[in-house]
Amino acid sequence: MTARELKHWYRVKIQIFMTLIQPIVWLGLFGQAFNIGALLPPQTVPMFFSGAPDYFSFMAIGMLAVNALFTCMFSGMSIVWDRRFGFLNKLKVAPIPRGVVPISRILATVVRSTIQVSIVLAIALAFQYIPGLTGLTLKEGFGIVDLAGMFAVLFLLSTAFASLFTTIALAVENQETLFGVINLLNLPLMFASAALFPTAMMPDWLRAVADYNPLTWAADAMRQFAFIDTIPIHSLAFDVLGLLAVAILLMGASVVVSRKLLSNR
Amino acid sequence: MSAIVAVENLVKRFSEDVLAVDNISFTVDEGEVFGFLGPNGAGKSTTINMLTTLLKPTSGKAIVAGFDLAHQQDEVRKVIGLVPQDLTVDDELSGRENMYLQADLYGVDRDRAKRDIEDLLHVVNLEEAADRRVKTYSGGMRKRLELAEGLIHHPRILFLDEPTLGLDIQTRVAIWDYIKDLKAKHNITVFLTTHYLEEADGLCDRIAIIDRGKIVALDTPTALKRSVGGDVIDLIVDGTADFSEAIRQADGVLDVKREDMAYRIKAVKGEGSIPKVLQAVSSQGGNVTSVSLSRPSLDQAFLEYTGRSMRDAEQSGGFDRAAAARASKRRR
Repeated sequence: MTARELKHWYRVKIQIFMTLIQPIVWLGLFGQAFNIGALLPPQTVPMFFSGAPDYFSFMAIGMLAVNALFTCMFSGMSIVWDRRFGFLNKLKVAPIPRGVVPISRILATVVRSTIQVSIVLAIALAFQYIPGLTGLTLKEGFGIVDLAGMFAVLFLLSTAFASLFTTIALAVENQETLFGVINLLNLPLMFASAALFPTAMMPDWLRAVADYNPLTWAADAMRQFAFIDTIPIHSLAFDVLGLLAVAILLMGASVVVSRKLLSNR
Repeated sequence: MSAIVAVENLVKRFSEDVLAVDNISFTVDEGEVFGFLGPNGAGKSTTINMLTTLLKPTSGKAIVAGFDLAHQQDEVRKVIGLVPQDLTVDDELSGRENMYLQADLYGVDRDRAKRDIEDLLHVVNLEEAADRRVKTYSGGMRKRLELAEGLIHHPRILFLDEPTLGLDIQTRVAIWDYIKDLKAKHNITVFLTTHYLEEADGLCDRIAIIDRGKIVALDTPTALKRSVGGDVIDLIVDGTADFSEAIRQADGVLDVKREDMAYRIKAVKGEGSIPKVLQAVSSQGGNVTSVSLSRPSLDQAFLEYTGRSMRDAEQSGGFDRAAAARASKRRR
């Protein structure tokens, strides 16, 4: 089942192209254009950007988390299509636990998201070597352990969001509704977080929200792996345990919902 | 023969005014081809969906292969195969990949799946196209793939919901042959729904005629046709002599009408009566120049039982009910 999802993905060539092009556009536009770091006195930059040497580096790490979110938000689309084309009925008559339906998609999404994020990371690093562009500068002595840590965080984040959107897709009937819900959730999640802007710049009420956004936790945790002298919002343990809790909770919810909605009525 | 499907007082009500299946009871014997015949919206698909665990009956009881539909759904799912009305094969995968996916869903082990998949692809004549993506397939090819998928786990009962809907006549005939073959070789019980009379007539051992959610008749196709009235024998005898009385005396003859040289004879069983009628005529010195036998069609049987022809039934209300049923299906 998971393999089916992945085959769908890599067979559609335009999707692969989009996968590659989208982060370049985002990194280029946001990272380079909104260089808010240039407004600050140079010595205060790392403090302001959680230890990152410049805004691009700060934002590139956040972008990894945002990219994972974007990949996940479409994880439910295939369920809606399957419902429409009757494939879901085939799954419903098969002697498989109902939970397999959401879990297979969540796994496929996590795999996709990991691949996509790796590409974004590679591109962000490569920007360093292009004249006129700022690239992602990691801390000196950034090692395999830090990298593994970052991917572990991304894994938890992707699992959480993929579960969330898969559950929503199970519950809604048509794609228009699903798109509506996705948009409703997506932008606030992205902007009310520390992923793209430091929460220090936010008004109090927004910061209060942002500090408990799983996206913030993920970005915050990854920055603690990526940079030196970070000024974390939460401790690494808090971030990771928080993500773990949310991931387990949402995945559990997807199984419960699938049991309820995919059994006969 | 023992019953493999036993249905008792099954009811499905979608809403206050949509009663799709209205208290039906029947049994299907192991190894038979059992047909559900009726116009669109008569409740055929709803019944199939209930028997294949897709829909929960509002009330009533059904035993499928010895398992109670109400609380042994997984056991039921393992022994049944379903070829649904809407195609559910995956467009983006190749035929072979679709088969492997289906095998995985049913937990068929890999070695056995590999062997069976090649066999099945051969049987449905899709070997050459097996590695092409399904979106390049024609409607008939998809349906054949769907059939092959329904058999991957060696089900004891195969449910076919309108197996030949929208297919051309060659493909239809090929699928009929295939279904007959299945029954002959593997003793699989086949439960099919159709609104093609010829299909029900040619394939099924027994037919239930369903209309407005109720079973109005259930018997073999021959018996259903016979119940409408006997066969008709048309006879032409040379000369002006009247043989009506002689014919009337022959075994199995119900009624004779004469118009000049032509006689129209109603008989219980046409093929048995013809020799006797011929004998009666020639013993009186008559010279028969032409004889033909016509049988009542299932259409007439349908008309007799529902009080309207298939076409009328589809036009009057049948459509709305179908649409309503489909809408509530989508709501799940």
